[in-house]
Amino acid sequence: MPEEKEFLVIKDIRKSFGFGDTKQDVLRGMNFTVKKGEFCVLLGPSGSGKSTLLNIIGGIDSADSGYISINGDKLEEMDEKTLTMYRRKHLGYVFQMYNLIPNLNVKENIEVGEYLSDHPLDIDELLHTLGLWDHRYKLPNQLSGGQQQRVSIGRAIVKNPDILMCDEPTGALDYNTSKEILKLIEDVNQKYGNTVIMVTHNDAIKHMADRVIRLRDGIVRHNDINIQKISAMDLDW
Amino acid sequence: MRNPLRKRVPRELLGDWHKYAVIMLFMVFMIAVVSAMYVGNDSMLKAAADGKTKYHVEDGRFELDQNADEEFLSALETGKKADLKAYLLDKAYEEAEKSATEAVDEAFAEQLKATVPEEYYETALEEAKKSDEYTKALDEAIQKAHTEAEKTVDEKYREAEKEYELNDADFTERTVSVVEHFYREESEDHDSDGKEDATIRIYKSDSDVDKACFLEGRAPKKSGEIALDRMHASNVGIEMGQTVTIGGESFKVVGLISYANYLTLHQKNTDLMFNAFEFDVGMVIPEDYDRLTSREHYNYAWFYEEEKPEGDMEKASYSSDFMKVLLTQTAVKEYEIKDYVPEYLNQAINFAPDDMKGDKTMGAILVYILIGVIAFIFAITISNTIEKEATVIGTLRASGYTKGELIRHYMTMPVIVTLIGGLIGNILGYTVFKDVVVYMYYNSYSLPAYVTVWSFEALLKTTLIPLILMLVINLCVIVKKLKLSPLRFLRRDLSKSRRTKARRLPKWSFMNRFRLRIIGQNLPNYLVLFIGIILIEVMLCFAIGFPESLNNYSRKAPDMLFAKYQYMLMGMEDKDGNPLETSVKGAEKFSCTSLLKKNENHDESITVYGVSKDSAYINIDDAIGEEEVFLSSAFAEKYGLKKGDSLKLAEKYENQSYEFKVAGIFEYDGGVAVFMPNRNFNSIFNHEENSYNGFFSNEKITDIDEKYIANVMTKKDITKVTDQLQHSMGGFMSMFEYVLFILAIILIYLLSKIIIEKNENQISMSKILGFRNGEIGSLYIMSTTWLVVIFTLLGSVIGYGLISEVFVIFMQSMDGWFTFYISTSGFVKMILFILAGYGIVTIADFIRIRRIPMDEALKNVD
Repeated sequence: MPEEKEFLVIKDIRKSFGFGDTKQDVLRGMNFTVKKGEFCVLLGPSGSGKSTLLNIIGGIDSADSGYISINGDKLEEMDEKTLTMYRRKHLGYVFQMYNLIPNLNVKENIEVGEYLSDHPLDIDELLHTLGLWDHRYKLPNQLSGGQQQRVSIGRAIVKNPDILMCDEPTGALDYNTSKEILKLIEDVNQKYGNTVIMVTHNDAIKHMADRVIRLRDGIVRHNDINIQKISAMDLDW
Repeated sequence: MRNPLRKRVPRELLGDWHKYAVIMLFMVFMIAVVSAMYVGNDSMLKAAADGKTKYHVEDGRFELDQNADEEFLSALETGKKADLKAYLLDKAYEEAEKSATEAVDEAFAEQLKATVPEEYYETALEEAKKSDEYTKALDEAIQKAHTEAEKTVDEKYREAEKEYELNDADFTERTVSVVEHFYREESEDHDSDGKEDATIRIYKSDSDVDKACFLEGRAPKKSGEIALDRMHASNVGIEMGQTVTIGGESFKVVGLISYANYLTLHQKNTDLMFNAFEFDVGMVIPEDYDRLTSREHYNYAWFYEEEKPEGDMEKASYSSDFMKVLLTQTAVKEYEIKDYVPEYLNQAINFAPDDMKGDKTMGAILVYILIGVIAFIFAITISNTIEKEATVIGTLRASGYTKGELIRHYMTMPVIVTLIGGLIGNILGYTVFKDVVVYMYYNSYSLPAYVTVWSFEALLKTTLIPLILMLVINLCVIVKKLKLSPLRFLRRDLSKSRRTKARRLPKWSFMNRFRLRIIGQNLPNYLVLFIGIILIEVMLCFAIGFPESLNNYSRKAPDMLFAKYQYMLMGMEDKDGNPLETSVKGAEKFSCTSLLKKNENHDESITVYGVSKDSAYINIDDAIGEEEVFLSSAFAEKYGLKKGDSLKLAEKYENQSYEFKVAGIFEYDGGVAVFMPNRNFNSIFNHEENSYNGFFSNEKITDIDEKYIANVMTKKDITKVTDQLQHSMGGFMSMFEYVLFILAIILIYLLSKIIIEKNENQISMSKILGFRNGEIGSLYIMSTTWLVVIFTLLGSVIGYGLISEVFVIFMQSMDGWFTFYISTSGFVKMILFILAGYGIVTIADFIRIRRIPMDEALKNVD
């Protein structure tokens, strides 16, 4: 398959921090591609560069060299304004911490995402999908961690992004809640067909992905296609 | 779809309502006061400006020593200068002819006396006068005298020409109309206890110029009725219908007025301050006026007939032209000009409007400074919010929110608060507060009735400019804060410097080092607090020090008199040409005149004393040269002059100036004055030897007829300035003190609240670790206490220094002098005000610290 036809292309991405003696190469020439609608998991231990890579893909960090192209658009060629507009139109973010706005209720927090999109999803339907319909008027501090993460996913997904970027979305959650959240992301991926890039250090999650990219020491060690995916609810760790 | 973030704004407002209520109340109050000042001022200024036409206000006035004849007035009205040279020549010829004839007659008489027997002498003299010899001698003598006279006149005229700039090429003839506007100055006894309470200047009620606005009652219609100044009446407690004694006669008050040319009751144009207590103006019917006995002042008002001058420059040029006409015409008529005041220099007309304009500027500056402080408080609050919400901002930015959207979001609150403050403030300004301002002005000035006018300036200066100020200050801070990348927000990596090592602290106790760290973390807050406290201290220094300075001056006033009585005479001789003398023991002659010290912005009238040798009242070295003078300490202090410096003083109505060298400083704070031996005085001002025009005496002088006494200066004359200032501003100042006290509380409350809120997590964590509320309070409150105490002490010193300097500049812009004074107790009060305010805030802070729950730290761990 020619490279250009891939939805997301990561080409020879390098990134280092610090200078001189303290210089540390975090990404040392990353190369892989992701197809549209794929559920891709970036797996690796702490310090393997997976969050840095996700940030570069999301356009909130830049690479020292190499390029990233999403649907043919090269992020390196975009200035700050264009990048912001790019993120606005095409990307959704979910972080380990939910980062909700404390004085907006559930629905309003999701509206924060809706506002950014020209073709947002129906909020009420989404609230049902997220299982938050009954909580829609609650403030974040009245919700459990799992519920807050659902809101954060809702906020990311409501604008119907091309790519949903998830950075350790279950990192702060317990086992059951984590599975529920993973199920939700899986459902969203299937229902809305967004490409999902998820960073995790949880090896078990690889089983629910279409593509598993294993990172270590700043390079791709394995790039596997998962032929026999299992559902999030069937995962165990 | 509208940005959903905007829904946060009302919740934020409600959630932190007490903070915003305090800010809003403060802004509303400030804006209301200043807006009211503008509305009140503009309305008053319009009333005063309109009054000039409505009440036919003069373009100027002059006073002569006698009632001028029609011929003189008509000559003045043509706007043409008199031919001074021809007049001088005619006069000189006449005198020359007279003295030449007398000389020739005398010579002939002597000759005849020696040769002709006494019985034929008269006939011989008559015969001789018919002789050719006599005619020839007389012709020769007259011719010689004429030549002499021409020479003298030439010289005299050249001098006059130079002095009065009679040949000024820019001179333009301007026709004027001159109207009699005579007045008498009578004693006013408003409580009819037989003692004089004030001087009242009485005009005729039928005058067509400089008319009055009746604020209450009507004009006198019949004998025994009077209308007098409303301000004076209110000050001294005269009421409508009351009977007052004027010049020994009883009058019933039928009207309270504001004369359009006496918006402030300045008795003399050179008075440092108006005096609405001891000076009054009023009107009675012409018959009553004629019955009054005091000396009539031959005062005339003039009006430019063709075009009216616009602006002070043009007015000055018109006045200068008229002055030349007046000088030459009075010279040829041998009238003496006693006073000359063009409208644009008339304090009684211009002081109030100028002062009101000044108030507006001061008010606006005050608002801008305070809005600036509030804007910084907002900026700090927002800056803290941004830090607190860093990860949310990071997420929003990562999701595609633009910087602009977030900047607008964070700007909404200060803008809304300012707009609401501006709106409510302006509404209050136009209603309740305007009445207060108007009341305040009516309490100070004799203003005419007014109609409220819409002031665009008020809206601009109290809403638009504060809004811009708020926008700019907050925009700078927010833009700078939001410049960071989304990633840095997500990582909470917001500090500019990437310091990895902690600052080393002195080896103090743990608690003190902790406090030092708190100070270090909150430097921007403390900086705003510092500026705020300095600002309040500066204003407090003024509010406390100004009345104290007035009191101090009043207290010292008795020492400021050279003698218990200082008599100024009308002239040196009585009507029969006998010198005015007194037998009162200890009475001492002196001379006095006034000269101008010309300064860049303000020409000041300087009193010049000629002191008798070995004076018992003014002890100066009598042996100094003619070019040397002693300065009063007030003079030296005001203009920073010292022994050996030179100074230039000029005649008021002549182009003549004098250079003096400072021989020394004479300790006298009662006025800006110059002293010289009377001998020098008479020589410099071309007076006859031993001339004088006043007496110093510790006993009342009773053997000089009152009509020869121009005025008597007593303690009251010295304190009238301070008395009036005390009355006009005293109440306002004590109100101002309380406003400042509240302002101090608000400022410290807001800033210390921010500091505690910023440290909520740490405080909560300290509680978890086992620190008691008292200990935490002592950590967080004590560090602020240290700084508040230091700032207050520094602020009081800075405030004093600044106000003292400003006071000098302020006093230099007006006549007279008194120094800024603040007592030790005043200083203590300045400091205590802030500390007491802080004390109250401390209680609120402690309650706030106690209320911070322990789970705060756990809830907010990211």
